[in-house]
Amino acid sequence: MTDIGHLIFNLLIFPGGLFAIVLGLLLMGIDRKIVARFQRRVGPPLYQPFIDLVKLTRKEIIVPETAHLQAFRLAPLLGFAGMIVAVILIPIAGVYQGLEFSGDLLVLLYLLSLPAIALMIGGSASSSPFGAVGFSREMVMMMSYELPLLLVLLTVALKVGLKTGGIATFSLSKIVGFQLENGALLFDYTMLPALVAFLIFIPGTMGVVPFDIPEAETEIVEGPILEYSGSWLALFKLTNALKMVVVLGLAVALFFPTPLGENTMLNLLWYFLKYLILLVISITIVRTSTGRIRIDQAFKFYLKYPTALALISLVLTLVKG
Amino acid sequence: MTKLLSKIAKRSPWLYRINAGSCNGCDVELATTACIPRYDVERLGCKYCGSPKHADIVLITGPLTARVREKVLRLYEEIPDPKVTVAIGVCPISGGVFRDSYAITGPIDNYIPVDVNVPGCPPRPQAIIDGIIEAIKIWETRL
Repeated sequence: MTDIGHLIFNLLIFPGGLFAIVLGLLLMGIDRKIVARFQRRVGPPLYQPFIDLVKLTRKEIIVPETAHLQAFRLAPLLGFAGMIVAVILIPIAGVYQGLEFSGDLLVLLYLLSLPAIALMIGGSASSSPFGAVGFSREMVMMMSYELPLLLVLLTVALKVGLKTGGIATFSLSKIVGFQLENGALLFDYTMLPALVAFLIFIPGTMGVVPFDIPEAETEIVEGPILEYSGSWLALFKLTNALKMVVVLGLAVALFFPTPLGENTMLNLLWYFLKYLILLVISITIVRTSTGRIRIDQAFKFYLKYPTALALISLVLTLVKG
Repeated sequence: MTKLLSKIAKRSPWLYRINAGSCNGCDVELATTACIPRYDVERLGCKYCGSPKHADIVLITGPLTARVREKVLRLYEEIPDPKVTVAIGVCPISGGVFRDSYAITGPIDNYIPVDVNVPGCPPRPQAIIDGIIEAIKIWETRL
């Protein structure tokens, strides 16, 4: 019974649910502020994403007459549900263990694609031609960034598996545990290409410039979420915030989970700092310094560079063990 | 409670531009100087959105030409309530340099309710931001 109570607490308060939502929204606010400072502007306050959500709940919800109502309504929920479950799979070293079952990495891999699928369903159910274009672009983006992600996960799993005497370990808690004993994978030179590949994967999956092709607001007017308004749109924004926590958390867990010490609060702050550094490197700087590329360019880019980098790591891991 | 929520919510007005046959002068002011890059309305919580379904404050430029009238009215209908309309430039008020033309069906407030007028050809960025602040005050009472 206490197990279920624990699980619900994890799901709703910490580290999932409330904590993850606040963390994700705060990270988005920080991102917007830093972008503004890069462009020599004042920028919105850090809590702007929270205000946006409050505002969205007070707006009217308009559903297009030709939309498929059930699919249109369930799509935002699908993405949100997927992400809120995904958050509790991510261990925070020194604070939270994660759900310890073998194969949670595989579950996470599937859950990570849910927001994109939700966007696709929402876009195609909205009956808008822009939604349809967004749908096809989202599909192409997903196909292009899933391959490098898969290779990176495989590399890390193989590395840890070979070191611990098995084959591949698809258990996130085991991977974190291995790094806590033997040092973070960040300091292993064979893993550096995989880390870079993962950093390139982050802006693609988060849909920020230069890879915001499915939601390009200047050409296909926000694509799949074009027809959403009010609290249904707010759910998409929440999903995005949670996805940020999941993706950055996965990067931290895979490459640098080392905690600072025994103190839980200190560990939490250290964890937040790692998030912040990753956010600035992989999202904010990329977002301010580039322009949007075409979908075919993005496809080629992802299948060339991150895939090649991840393959280098994979081969190095297989050779060196 | 509702009052508190609208006090919070008024700090996140999302802007949407409608070009009702404008000569593009006001749009350039909106897009490149007044709003995001130079005078920064994002500090008020504003954000340009691509979709009318996400908009709170509508910025209309241009004298409402005959060809674009139906589309503007339809776009206006698609914006969810509560919304506020700001007419930018002198064209929405009187037609500006295009007045008396056979192609003009304006002024705009014959068709849709305009809450704030920002006259000028084009208006100064400071005037536009002032107009947006006026619009936020009106918007708060409707939230």
